[in-house]
Amino acid sequence: MSTAASVPGFVPATLSIARKELRVLFLSPLAWVFLGAVLLLGGIFFHLGLAVSGEASMRPVLGNLAIVLLFCLPLVTMRQFAEETRIGTLELLMTAPVPLGALILGKWLATLALCCVLLALTAIYPAILWLYGDPDPGALVTSYLGMIGLCAAFSAAGLFVSSLARDQMVAGVGTVLLLLPFWLADAGRDLLPEWFAPVLSRVSVIEHLRGPARGVIDSADVVYFLGFVVLFLFLTWRSLESRRWR
Amino acid sequence: MIEARGLTKRYGRFTAVDGVDLDIAERGIVGFLGPNGAGKTTTMRMLTGYLPMTDGTAKVAGFDVFDQPQQVKARVGYLPETPPLYPELTVGEYLAFVAEIRGLAKKDRLRRVGDVMDQVGLKEMEKRVTGALSKGYRQRVGLAQALLHDPPVLILDEPTSGLDPAQLVGIRRLVQELAEDRLVVLSTHILQEVELLCDRVILINRGKLAGDGTVESLAAEVGAGAWVELVADGPAEDATAKLAGLDAVESVRSLEPSSSGAARFRLEGGGDLPAAVAALAATEGWRVHALVPRKASLEEVFLSLVEVER
Repeated sequence: MSTAASVPGFVPATLSIARKELRVLFLSPLAWVFLGAVLLLGGIFFHLGLAVSGEASMRPVLGNLAIVLLFCLPLVTMRQFAEETRIGTLELLMTAPVPLGALILGKWLATLALCCVLLALTAIYPAILWLYGDPDPGALVTSYLGMIGLCAAFSAAGLFVSSLARDQMVAGVGTVLLLLPFWLADAGRDLLPEWFAPVLSRVSVIEHLRGPARGVIDSADVVYFLGFVVLFLFLTWRSLESRRWR
Repeated sequence: MIEARGLTKRYGRFTAVDGVDLDIAERGIVGFLGPNGAGKTTTMRMLTGYLPMTDGTAKVAGFDVFDQPQQVKARVGYLPETPPLYPELTVGEYLAFVAEIRGLAKKDRLRRVGDVMDQVGLKEMEKRVTGALSKGYRQRVGLAQALLHDPPVLILDEPTSGLDPAQLVGIRRLVQELAEDRLVVLSTHILQEVELLCDRVILINRGKLAGDGTVESLAAEVGAGAWVELVADGPAEDATAKLAGLDAVESVRSLEPSSSGAARFRLEGGGDLPAAVAALAATEGWRVHALVPRKASLEEVFLSLVEVER
């Protein structure tokens, strides 16, 4: 019998969770379906955008990619806690000396890492732009930073909904429903009273991608995405804490 | 090792566990026994820190479950009712992951995973995906997972459910081995298992403690002590009265006749009961087929204790 009981550190535990999560993701068809679907749609939008505008920039792709991600990223995040609950592994994680924060952060980082793989694969679009045009390199970099911000935000929201639902489908659909207003806010501008417009544009995800797509990163955009992430990771934490009491 | 006072869990208006007190100091095997839905799993989940208690306190391995959950979790190995496996991972990958989140030092992990796989007989399954394993092997992976950090307290929720007889023997032997230098708490609703394995039985019924002790002490408690079975040819109607007339005999009940038609009696009493009965049989000229000392079965104890509660 051992006398010295071991407890993992916060960072190693977070990384262990993230590694496990990625491994399970890539061993199941899910990650591949996600990458394939988003790249296919992204490719179509890139082609159409380029054909219509003839402009050597990522601007047209980004807006569309954001919408594709809004519908596809929930496919990945929906299983995170819902699946662990269903197969009983949540009991393993919650009875191991892993801090709850490490569990949440690890899962979020894993989704973000998957998104980074996706974004790395989309590097073919700017490569084509370089080959045949003269894009603004600064705008390319900020565009990608904007996309990372968007993925970070959507991943956090998806994680939160997954922590609420016991069923994957509910978690998936719920995430789309949660994220839709952040996209529609932009489109709804013309339908609602004029004084409401500034509020909507602050809430809209698309609005906060406009600056980065042009090569400008406003502190408001950074605060928006950071706030989005922090809020939903915090809510995930609260939801998991409270769920134990029910 | 485990100390609980007034342990209570309520879900809304439903009380799953109701004021359970536990004092388990020793090593060895303690069985939680009770009908399905009695609150065994909920009790275990509270002791492992998975569910917080609504009321009461619990100390496991010297630490308060509520105030120092990490300390408790670090010292408890837990096998939930369904082994918590990731079906995509191989046995080796899965155990390596658990070793990581259990905080095992990097240099010890591989060795420890190897040792535990040997211990539960999983060596040849290392590269197999856990989702493709049979029920028996899954159970072993679940057990291996609970053993990785060599915990002083092992909590096993129905470790033998759904196993075939050969696997059953294997797991039971393993549990006995493990209990040599630690406390093993296991839950079951299989009575023979308790008689076979457990040094101590804790009976739980409808969320309450219904009995606590060895099988023998519980039997004494419900008055279902040792008895003697007499099977004989020849006794007539008045045999019961004659048997009851013996000093050593406290009670006599005639049982269903044996398959060969011999009369059967259940005798309780003290002193030299068998000798007195044999002497009576000799004088009466009964042909005695059997005179067997019997123990109260756990079934009887269980039923009478559970019955009392109803």
